[in-house]
Amino acid sequence: MIAKLKTTLGSLGEWINRGKVPYILSITGLVLSTVWVYFSPRSLPAFLFFLAMAGMIYYFKIKPVAKLILGLVVALIVVPIIGARNIFYLEVLFQIGVFAALALGLNIVVGFTGLLNLGYVAFYAVGAYLWAFFGSKQIFLLHEIPGTAPQGTPFLLPGDMFYLFIMLGIIVAAVTGLLLGLPVLRVRGDYLAIVTLGFGEVIRQLANNLDKPLNFTNGPQGITPIQKPTLPGGVMDAFNVILTPIVGQPVTEGQFYNILFYFIALLVAALVIFVTLRLDDSKIGRAWTAIREDEMAAVAMGIPAVKLKLAAFAVGASFAGAMGVVMAASRTFVSPESFTFMQSIGVLTMVILGGIGSIPGVVLGAAVVVVLNLQVLQEVSLYLSQLRQSDSVIPIINFAWKNLSNQLDPAKYQRLLFGLILILMMIYRPAGLIPAARRKRELKAAAVPDADNGTQEAADE
Amino acid sequence: MRRIYESTVLRELLRPLGQIAIFVTATGAIFSVAMLLLALLFRGSAADRLLQENNHINIFAFTLTNLPQVLVDGVTLGFVYAAIALGYTMVYGVLEFINFAHSEIFAIGAFVGVEVLIALEGAGQLSSIPIWLAYVFLALAVIAGMAAAGGMAMLVEATAYRPLRNAPRLVPLISAIGVSFFLQDAIRFTESITTGQFHRIIPTFGNFDQRVSLVKLPLAGVVTDINIQIKSIVVIAAAVLMLVGLNYLVNATKVGKAIRAVAQDRPTASLMGINVNLIISLTFLVGGALGGAAGVLYALKFTRIDPFVGFFPGIKAFTAAVLGGIGNLTGALLGGIVLGMLESFAGAYLSAFTMGAAGAEYKDILAFAILILVLIFRPSGLLGEQVGQKA
Amino acid sequence: MSNVLLETKKVVKRFGGLVAVNKMDVVIEQGSICSIIGPNGAGKTTFFNTLTGIYKPEEGEIVFDGHHTIGLRPDQITDLHIARTFQNIRLFGSMTVLENIMVGMHTRLKQSGVDALLRTRKFREEEKKAFAKATELMEYVGLHGVGDELARNLPYGGQRRIEVARALASQPKLLLLDEPTAGMNPNETEDAIRLFRRVRDDLGITILLIEHDMRVVMGISERITVMDYGEKIAEGLPAEIRANKRVIEAYLGRGAATEIIA
Repeated sequence: MIAKLKTTLGSLGEWINRGKVPYILSITGLVLSTVWVYFSPRSLPAFLFFLAMAGMIYYFKIKPVAKLILGLVVALIVVPIIGARNIFYLEVLFQIGVFAALALGLNIVVGFTGLLNLGYVAFYAVGAYLWAFFGSKQIFLLHEIPGTAPQGTPFLLPGDMFYLFIMLGIIVAAVTGLLLGLPVLRVRGDYLAIVTLGFGEVIRQLANNLDKPLNFTNGPQGITPIQKPTLPGGVMDAFNVILTPIVGQPVTEGQFYNILFYFIALLVAALVIFVTLRLDDSKIGRAWTAIREDEMAAVAMGIPAVKLKLAAFAVGASFAGAMGVVMAASRTFVSPESFTFMQSIGVLTMVILGGIGSIPGVVLGAAVVVVLNLQVLQEVSLYLSQLRQSDSVIPIINFAWKNLSNQLDPAKYQRLLFGLILILMMIYRPAGLIPAARRKRELKAAAVPDADNGTQEAADE
Repeated sequence: MRRIYESTVLRELLRPLGQIAIFVTATGAIFSVAMLLLALLFRGSAADRLLQENNHINIFAFTLTNLPQVLVDGVTLGFVYAAIALGYTMVYGVLEFINFAHSEIFAIGAFVGVEVLIALEGAGQLSSIPIWLAYVFLALAVIAGMAAAGGMAMLVEATAYRPLRNAPRLVPLISAIGVSFFLQDAIRFTESITTGQFHRIIPTFGNFDQRVSLVKLPLAGVVTDINIQIKSIVVIAAAVLMLVGLNYLVNATKVGKAIRAVAQDRPTASLMGINVNLIISLTFLVGGALGGAAGVLYALKFTRIDPFVGFFPGIKAFTAAVLGGIGNLTGALLGGIVLGMLESFAGAYLSAFTMGAAGAEYKDILAFAILILVLIFRPSGLLGEQVGQKA
Repeated sequence: MSNVLLETKKVVKRFGGLVAVNKMDVVIEQGSICSIIGPNGAGKTTFFNTLTGIYKPEEGEIVFDGHHTIGLRPDQITDLHIARTFQNIRLFGSMTVLENIMVGMHTRLKQSGVDALLRTRKFREEEKKAFAKATELMEYVGLHGVGDELARNLPYGGQRRIEVARALASQPKLLLLDEPTAGMNPNETEDAIRLFRRVRDDLGITILLIEHDMRVVMGISERITVMDYGEKIAEGLPAEIRANKRVIEAYLGRGAATEIIA
């Protein structure tokens, strides 16, 4: 039954990807979904359809150039327009970008090198607190009790420095990764997981408690306000000149910041993908995978395992550091609450769901988890709260929705979601939704028509 | 006399009692002496002056007068950690697998125990009852917690771990993390759906909150009344009972022999006619039940529980297990006591010694630091044997 | 004696109270094919592991090609041009055959992370060469058209060959083979022996192998060292070993020697 379904789907997939069909499908799909979202900017199905269509560009068998053009049009033109109509969509896409970068960083450590890091979010925290400290007034408040900032305290650094601090975030997080890695990488696999968990908690607790003797982090209250990047003069006006006729009204500065941060997240995420792809296809990437597969054999082949594991830690951490800076600036607020163990597991869930070691998989995993988290759960929560306010009653058991507890809000059940995803994936599909495919190199193999063979095989394992 | 010692039954009952006595005394003594020396060293320091200014007591007297209470708290906490640590260490001993969800098994035990007591309270059974009945009810709650936690541990093993038994090492670990998260919210859901609240507070009943005065000692010129809460005595007594019982089960019974055989060599044990799946289930049942009992005791001691209550005790108990030498039951006991003491001492003295710069909130960091240091420098723990790398 | 490639002097490796390797003296000459034989548990693989740096011997000296190797990490020793295969095949199962072989070249590739990120000309040329070399090595060990297969999907004999190709990729002067024909049928064994001879004859690589199969040992070795209980009990040409009383005793137990010789 399932096998039959598989073959049916398989032949459908083949038909979709033959000749001009994928061009027609992808362009019509994108146009349709764009129009749908444009005219009903609050519709979740419309947005999901749009996201799916954008994701399909990757799968359609069309020329790389066409893919690139379609992707750029969607990312640079369509999304800002849709986002200006409903700013919430930009938030979703921003978070997808942020978490895709985080998940790709963790993927280098967990997926490529096979080291389970349960405290990954600590590097994200390092980046976030870096900008939170230097891009806020905190340095003038070192001797103040949390929450008692005197009026008129100036910011330490101007918003321009934000762009420099993305670089610094990369460096500082990478160094933190090295410092953590040096002692702990001698520890065996499952112990390493617990040690990194401990490290993550230590960082969070430090953020929580370093409000005395000197007030570095402002404790549990967190640091706010934090500088936003300075806008280059006239960019917003220029943007409005183009956008106003399409959207119908000019965007406010707040909205424009959303668009800007979407672009920054997109850029950083693209950079991260680029770096990951290139490292993966080099002797470094091969060595990482070799260590994952069999560390002793890798060492016997001349791979300095400790050095490469450190490199994996540093590279993975640097992605998180950069996104930490971006996150701190976009929220203008940073607190220890954002860097809990659950966040680390959330990122791990994205990697596991999408496909451990698989770059497109990990991006998909990040997108799915963010959308589930931000949209689907929220949407159901919203629906439930509407029911709660209504007088309706479940007929047979005679249960009034009014009596439904606030605590049953699905948006509060992320752990259940992450937990279920992890268990089910481990049992039924440990390689993830899009399993990692090895690169085909052999010249003869390139002549074989069905290039997707590798993916198929890996999936059947 | 000789015959008594030769009887396995008695030996296996007496030996752990002896070990417990030695560990508690030795750890307590070492920590006390170290702390007092540190206090002497701090005499005349800024911390000392601050203390004299605010509390009119010098740092040595402060340390000495607080010491008995700190020791009692440390031992109580230590036994709770030891009881949880046994669950980690048993499973690790048999499967070489960190049962990450053990902290939620602990929480389930706590919730079921507390719910039983709440139900009794609701039925009006807890007010003005004779003392002996209070103990019976508490025992009932503990047993209910043990049953629920043990059962859940078995269920989790059968559904989320068994299918992955031959998978690479990290696969079942990730599944266990998933179970841990799933159970946290599952508890939250079940508790919320009935009352709209997800935390619970253990009802007050019996004489558990009273204190018994042990002795009045003249310490540093002040007559100090050294007393202990009855519930601390209950926690210690129950934990000692469980430790001795488990030791007996593992070292002196046929089932225990089978567990040890499976831990040594699974395929061979299977060839010898041992039902490996059954023994592994049993290990989870026993470890889970101990965790569940620890959960109820924890609730009794700290009164308030929520679905995430297991995380920190779980991590600390795991630290205790590693500190003592994972897979080693005696090690879990020692590790638990050391960690309990450490936390109690840090909680009591850190703030005074650092002039408020770092207080009790750093006790978690301290536990993690210990974990990290032990794993890096002596992964086999205090009582474990160093084993060579396998080629 | 100027052409000695590897010399070990009184190498001792202990595990707790157990002496796994006891005062092993071995001299391997450049360009030779030598074997270490001995009953199970004699310490042969442990000895290999001390040569490759996986274990650090407590006593003794190991000199390879003018370098003292004790205390070096395994990857540093590989860098000195020693390569090995494993008793129970240890390939990188979910990497392709070519990738496996390219991993073997790790120490010989000069590209850096920056080269990889920028795809410099140096990087592209080196990768291209590495790929060509890997393909060549794959074909050299007798495999064709399986470069993109995952290593774990290959049959047993193929996996053994890839292990040899992977080891050759690190350009060794000395190749250590740990029971390279274990589990092979007679035809495959014949092929393997022919391959090892070619490796030595064409590439000039010295080979030291551990083997149980006497046909292999006697058929290929120029010198044989016999180990028992961690010690060297005999050494010499195949014919000498065949007639050595202590060796036969070690294999078949005391008393057996007289029967066989008689």
